[in-house]
Amino acid sequence: MNMNKLKLIIASAYAALVSVLFVVIITIISELVPSLKDWLKNLFGHHWVSKSILSVLLYLIVAKILYFSVCNNNNGQRVRKSLKLLLIFVVLGVVAISLFYIGHYFHIF
Amino acid sequence: MDIITILQNKPVLIGLHLGFAIIGIDAFLWLLWKFRSNNSSQKNGTKTALVGVISFIFSWIAGGYYYVVFYGALVKPIIKTGMAPWAHNVVMEIKEHIFLFIIPLAMTVFFITLLKMEEIEQFKLHRLVCWLSGTVAVLGLLIGVMGFIISAAARWGAIG
Repeated sequence: MNMNKLKLIIASAYAALVSVLFVVIITIISELVPSLKDWLKNLFGHHWVSKSILSVLLYLIVAKILYFSVCNNNNGQRVRKSLKLLLIFVVLGVVAISLFYIGHYFHIF
Repeated sequence: MDIITILQNKPVLIGLHLGFAIIGIDAFLWLLWKFRSNNSSQKNGTKTALVGVISFIFSWIAGGYYYVVFYGALVKPIIKTGMAPWAHNVVMEIKEHIFLFIIPLAMTVFFITLLKMEEIEQFKLHRLVCWLSGTVAVLGLLIGVMGFIISAAARWGAIG
């Protein structure tokens, strides 16, 4: 069996998780801190473009780092844990972004 | 009219954005069905996932170009002054950000499809790969519904 494929899956799962976390955090903070949104606008011309590019770069960099640092001795449990966490963080990320913008619209925060 | 001019046309961009998104969603629904019915060869699963990832990337590029170049200046003001300003302030904001979750998630599913079916069973990943494929598809569908709401708000904002 190919251990490299398992390493790739684990690395990708955690990198995707970090990317999701990054998008949620930077989105919320940039709405609450205008100077951060301005910085994002100036970075690549548009705040959403900057978030897109940064999230992709983060995914690629973290995946590469994790791929080379994850040990070769991977079992199903490690892979399943990474995928479960990814799933949880994606769902939580969708909920967080949705609740934030709803709350922001009603001036709750 | 050259191809670049055609591709920068607003309806064409929307069509490409939507078209590629539909292909991406269908690819992951297909993958979900294949895994649930234990009817997937490793090669077919990988090809399907790859089609899905590439489609979402093209949808991202077409939609992103339209959003940056046209939406902000032309569509957003209509929605914000129309009968449903929340279509931009809430729905569009949610849509444009959760879209960013899809490709890393889809890539991870793609990497799982590189495993042989026996390995997926051996590592007990079958249920998870179904959930992940389904999540990609559901996110895509959710984003599609949000796109419909935004388009409707723009239409009614322009008419009303």
